[in-house]
Amino acid sequence: MHGVTAELEDVLFGYGAEPILVDVDLTLRGGEFTVLAGANGSGKSTLLKLMVGLLRPDAGTISVLGGSPTDHRIRRRIGYAPQGLRLATSLPVSVAEVVAAGLAPAKGLFKRMGGADWSRVDGAIDAVGLGHLSAECLFELSGGQQQRAILARALVAQPELLLLDEPTTGIDQRLRPALADEFRRRADSGVTVVAVSHDPDDFHTVCDRILVVVDGRLKQISHEEFHTHLEMAP
Amino acid sequence: MSRVFLNFAILSYIAGGAVGVATPVIGCFLVQRRLSLIGDAVGHLAFAGVAIGIAAGLAPLWGSLAIAVAGAIALEWLRARGRLAGDLSLALIFYLALAVGLVVLSARGGLNPSAMGFLFGSIFTITWLDVLSIALLCLLVVAAVALFYKELVAVALDEETAHASGLPVDALNVLLVGLTALLVVAGMRVVGLLLIAALLVMPVAAGSRLAHSFRGSMLWAVAAGLVATLGGLVIALVQGEIAPGGTIVVTAAAVFAVATVAGRRAARQHPRRSAA
Repeated sequence: MHGVTAELEDVLFGYGAEPILVDVDLTLRGGEFTVLAGANGSGKSTLLKLMVGLLRPDAGTISVLGGSPTDHRIRRRIGYAPQGLRLATSLPVSVAEVVAAGLAPAKGLFKRMGGADWSRVDGAIDAVGLGHLSAECLFELSGGQQQRAILARALVAQPELLLLDEPTTGIDQRLRPALADEFRRRADSGVTVVAVSHDPDDFHTVCDRILVVVDGRLKQISHEEFHTHLEMAP
Repeated sequence: MSRVFLNFAILSYIAGGAVGVATPVIGCFLVQRRLSLIGDAVGHLAFAGVAIGIAAGLAPLWGSLAIAVAGAIALEWLRARGRLAGDLSLALIFYLALAVGLVVLSARGGLNPSAMGFLFGSIFTITWLDVLSIALLCLLVVAAVALFYKELVAVALDEETAHASGLPVDALNVLLVGLTALLVVAGMRVVGLLLIAALLVMPVAAGSRLAHSFRGSMLWAVAAGLVATLGGLVIALVQGEIAPGGTIVVTAAAVFAVATVAGRRAARQHPRRSAA
């Protein structure tokens, strides 16, 4: 059994006076693949941002990889793919350049990208099925292809914790199983994977558990309950 | 002997070439991050620095360098904390800095044709010492970008994710605006403080029309910057009466137009693959 990767205790968070996460307790272990579900605005993305240190809890404690998620050294061991394409689009950027950006923090300051680093970039691009588009301008690709490049950026540094916010958005249904298998492979190698998802069919065959955010609290549900939950969600 | 081969012309080629190469290198990061107007703001601040430097008995270079670097870092501090949102704040800084420069210079009796040289360039009167300081500033900027290239690219692409992945985003942003300030001062004698921002943006716009990657855009932009500065200088030398700062920027605009046409033609001949 792998050790604890992340631990949240009594976490409280709100953007205004009204909290959206209340008394959240969560333990994530290495090798575990968790799907995070819930209605729009329920706090799923917020939970990931708390774990990667982009937000700080109003109360409670968050420990990730044995330290604080606001610590730069801890963050370098996390792979984070935010929801949607947030890239600056003024100048053309190749797929390889976007993915290589994910390797910059782990590589360290003053160190140039070498042949081995570019091989890792190629490997991550191949893992999401974009090998033939590596040199293409990202903004000339479809939304699904752009999303896969963002996932490759999160994978490239071989992080110990993968936080994926709606990773299948825009991606063709027929390509999703291969991506799900890739995330499962990462989990089997000891990586902790957390994926926010609205689609119960994306990861149900590969994930270990499904957590749903209801009224600011986390609750574990079965795959069947996930379907029911979606039908009842506003 | 043609004016284009005289000593002062050779000096202008070296200084202009250095600025023409270095400005697009920084400009790529500014344009990608939608910070193009920072160059203008720093240019205006540098003019106030020139005036304050002269009033304090310093060489214009030192006054402009001090105020431009300090002002650029202050601008970034305000921007990062959301206190510099929109073009109104930047416009206020433009006009205030220009007005301060005018007030201080005129109060010291320094509002003469040489002051216009700081605003619109005076490249044909530079000395070897000027060339050396311009080349050193440009070299420093290019070396710093080479050293922090992968980190600067990561932040330019997606600041939030760069922050989440552990990069020192605030420090890299300060570095970027600090280097911008150095370039503005380096370009002060070449095209002037009011036009240097054009060299930060126009060659980059041209490069973006011809490339499919950030690195490719930068290389094309450097080529465009070099063609614009050297071409503009030659035009001014041959014509004899036109201000070289103006011909450089007009040539940069022409290069952008050519790049746009060439880019569209290339796109028609090699259409992008359809999205799958």
